Amino acid sequence: MRRGVLVRLVAVGLAAAAAAFAVAFFVPWLPRSASKQADRIHFVFWFVSVISIGIFALVAAVILYAVVRFRARPDDDSDGAPIHGHTGLEIAWTAVPAVLVAAIAVVSAVALAQNDHLPKNHLRVDVTAQQFAWKFTYPKYKGLSTSMLHLPLHEAIDLEMRSKDVIHSFWIPEFSQSQDVVPGITTRVVITPERLGTYPVVCTELCGEGHALMRTQAIVMTQRAFLGWVKGEEKAALAASQVPAGAGPGLAVFKSAGCSNCHTFKPAGSTGTTGPDLDNLTRYARRAGQPLKPFIRESILVPNAYIEKGYSPNIMPNTFKSLPKSQLAALIRFLVQGQKK
Amino acid sequence: MTSAALAHDELSAGAAPPPRGWRRLLAPGWLRVPWMTALFFGIGLGITLLVRFAESWKPIWDGQVITTIELTAVPFGFLAGLGGFDYWARYAIGSPTRPEDHSGHGAQSWRDYFRVNTDHKVIGIQYLVATFFFFIAAGLMAMIMRAELARPGMQFVGNQVFNELFSVHAALMIFLFIIPAFAGLGNFVIPLMIGAPDMAFPRLNALSFWLLPVAGLIMLGSFIVPGFGCGWTGYAPLCSTHQELGAVFFNMGVQWAGASSIMTALNFLVTIITMRAPGMTFWRMPLLVWANFTTSLLVVIATPFIAGSQFMSMFDHVMHTNFFNPDQHGYVLAYQHIFWFYSHPAVYIMMLPGFGIASEVISTFARKPIFGYRLMALSLMAILVLGFSVWAHHMFVSGMSPWLRVPMMVTSVIIAIPTGIKVFSWLATLWEGKLNFSTPMLFALGFVSMFVIGGLSGIYLAAVPIDVHVSDTYFVVAHIHYVLFGGSLFTIFAGIYYWFPKMTGRMYNERLGKLHFWLTFIGFNATFFPMHYLGIQGMPRRVADYAPRFANLNLFISIASFCLGASTLVFLYNIIVSWARGEPAPANPWRALTIEWQVSSPPPVFNFDEIPQVVGGPYEYGVPGARHAVFNGDRVAEREQVPR
Repeated sequence: MRRGVLVRLVAVGLAAAAAAFAVAFFVPWLPRSASKQADRIHFVFWFVSVISIGIFALVAAVILYAVVRFRARPDDDSDGAPIHGHTGLEIAWTAVPAVLVAAIAVVSAVALAQNDHLPKNHLRVDVTAQQFAWKFTYPKYKGLSTSMLHLPLHEAIDLEMRSKDVIHSFWIPEFSQSQDVVPGITTRVVITPERLGTYPVVCTELCGEGHALMRTQAIVMTQRAFLGWVKGEEKAALAASQVPAGAGPGLAVFKSAGCSNCHTFKPAGSTGTTGPDLDNLTRYARRAGQPLKPFIRESILVPNAYIEKGYSPNIMPNTFKSLPKSQLAALIRFLVQGQKK
Repeated sequence: MTSAALAHDELSAGAAPPPRGWRRLLAPGWLRVPWMTALFFGIGLGITLLVRFAESWKPIWDGQVITTIELTAVPFGFLAGLGGFDYWARYAIGSPTRPEDHSGHGAQSWRDYFRVNTDHKVIGIQYLVATFFFFIAAGLMAMIMRAELARPGMQFVGNQVFNELFSVHAALMIFLFIIPAFAGLGNFVIPLMIGAPDMAFPRLNALSFWLLPVAGLIMLGSFIVPGFGCGWTGYAPLCSTHQELGAVFFNMGVQWAGASSIMTALNFLVTIITMRAPGMTFWRMPLLVWANFTTSLLVVIATPFIAGSQFMSMFDHVMHTNFFNPDQHGYVLAYQHIFWFYSHPAVYIMMLPGFGIASEVISTFARKPIFGYRLMALSLMAILVLGFSVWAHHMFVSGMSPWLRVPMMVTSVIIAIPTGIKVFSWLATLWEGKLNFSTPMLFALGFVSMFVIGGLSGIYLAAVPIDVHVSDTYFVVAHIHYVLFGGSLFTIFAGIYYWFPKMTGRMYNERLGKLHFWLTFIGFNATFFPMHYLGIQGMPRRVADYAPRFANLNLFISIASFCLGASTLVFLYNIIVSWARGEPAPANPWRALTIEWQVSSPPPVFNFDEIPQVVGGPYEYGVPGARHAVFNGDRVAEREQVPR
């Protein structure tokens, strides 16, 4: 190959590489990292990106150069040079990629081992997934459970995940780790939050009709704020268990049947957003043209009978038919009493 | 009258006279289809009810069970009515088989494409037309999905319908378009390329085609019953115990399509091994033949696994077995292991024939021998073997044994090496060539560049830590479309434009072809490249609704996808009009060296009036006096002139 060709080829390659680098670095590709593990994953991402940009530039340079330089004139019917191969070149483009992918594998394996490591001092959170809601339980705090994940800053968190029905997948983009939640087995992911903030929790494994709506939030708080939140929740739970005049059993049913996973309802302190806000039941009933109490009963037993605007049918499980009569009555009473007059 | 038609008339002169009157109902064909289908439906129904009655299983009339049985019985009735089994049925019951009069060969009118035809050239075209029908159906589903995704929130379809749309879109594109479209091109081209008069098993060939419409209609039928909305991967237990009847349609559709592809693959293997023309050694075979040889091995070895996984999933659903039912000690992840043990090799089933097409096209239009021919063939074999060792890279976040992740990552990145060899060899083939940018070449070069991007994003996905971030997001959607659209579909287009003159005897319109390429190339990148970004940023795949912050980019993607969809109209117009009224094609418009170009366009009914003698490699462009094959008529260059 003449030197002039090589110089031109390298020039085109550098131009392609520069363009690819511009796309890689001026577009904010990755969400801002919020955990120790995400930092390592981002490092692997950029490591692979640098290698990929190199390969891309090489291929782009050869194609562009060939397309311009070796274009046949319209009247040129002759053949190209009868080159059948070049052993040295063929060995090179077998060996060099082998070294590059080996480097990627080693870097990835190291990052993976570090991310899997669970320090002895950690906070365990049990995650329960079901169609189409998340529930987070803190065994350390007397089984405190919530529909939004609250995490203390800088502490290693061990998420132990189980599913009640089908496969779901737990993902927080800012933490860069997703993990399937599989019925029949327990899966685990380790997160050490490093940045305060509120992040989306997304289900990434198709889990049925309401898959797109299976979202909640993760809130990273300072250690002190987290302990304050725990105390507040415990107090609220205690207060709720002492509510007089029948609300007690209703609240208990509300929590045990899983209503709080999907619905916001102030008297129960729940904040789920998959389903409609139950503080407004009076308004919904008026829109459905029914008295409040029968409306609530029907909506629990036959969820598709009336669908509030902005929500979809078939998302709410229709398994609440099997609630015992007394529990159902207590639940309805609790919901009715919780409405503002 | 052309020589082909003449030969046909001579041959069919000895055939039995066409039946008259009511006897026409007994002759194979569309008159026999309705009553035979009804008959088999009745038999299926009768047996089901009888068994349930005898065993006193209540209820005796169970719609789910009956549907499942009928999805087996009705297709058999249809195929038997059409005449798919006639020869074997006669043979089995001892009545004289019709002597092979070859009246099934060739096509005189469009009607001949709608019967059981044993001519590989007719079957190839049947395959391509049928698969493009399903391609358009599945493409329209994608358009509906993009319309829904143009804005956040719900606009046109509900969640369930959306889930059904992407499930059937993928199922059709994979099982009824890409895999059989390659089989169709191979069917037409391979016997011609190796100098054979037909495939080894013409009747099996005809049957394997007619299984396809059956499989496709079953997949489409899933919309009618409560649908199939659990993704083409059909993960248990969502798709086994938690789904409606539609899932069974998917299970059975896969069985019929899988049976079709196994039969075709066996046919390819036997044809390639036993029917090569004299002198056609393995190391003189064109790379398309090599590619289909390795692909067929993949199909024959891997497809039984998906058949198994779908049967087990269906049994869980219909017969209350507990293979994957976690409540009854079933193991959920077993489904994924069995499924991906097919479905990863399936990625290569959908890619290797495209590699073959790209090799043919690039060599011909660069007027150069393929650089490193032997290493190209060997890397196909390497991909074949390695392809079976990487399946669990689809399962890095599935909860499988953690130790399995690193070995699977290592094999996955190793498979990038033979793939890289192929890309670099194509590039080197361009070097010092005389490049001619006809439409097939544009699509082949488009394929190489898009496939490089898809391959590189594949490296990201193979690296476990990155996969843990982007698994099941739009990054994966972008990756598979760069590989299957930018890869497989671009090569299918390249192949169709390349062999269109040979298939139809007419030239396509070059200007419209180029317009089609540029619209597709730009529309494709505008549609799928931004999806990488969406995925990394946090948008999961398979959702009808998404966070508002992704709204603008999704709107852009939707608009681009409509342009991409519209580009297909240019292709269809070009193909249909050119087929009807295009300029007559010469035998060898591209001045290519492989054997299919040494016969007329379209080829004679039995391909070769005389058997070709292969005397050299297939790509000896620029080598003075070199020939790939000679016919007895011009035995001037009798001696092998190329030392390779």
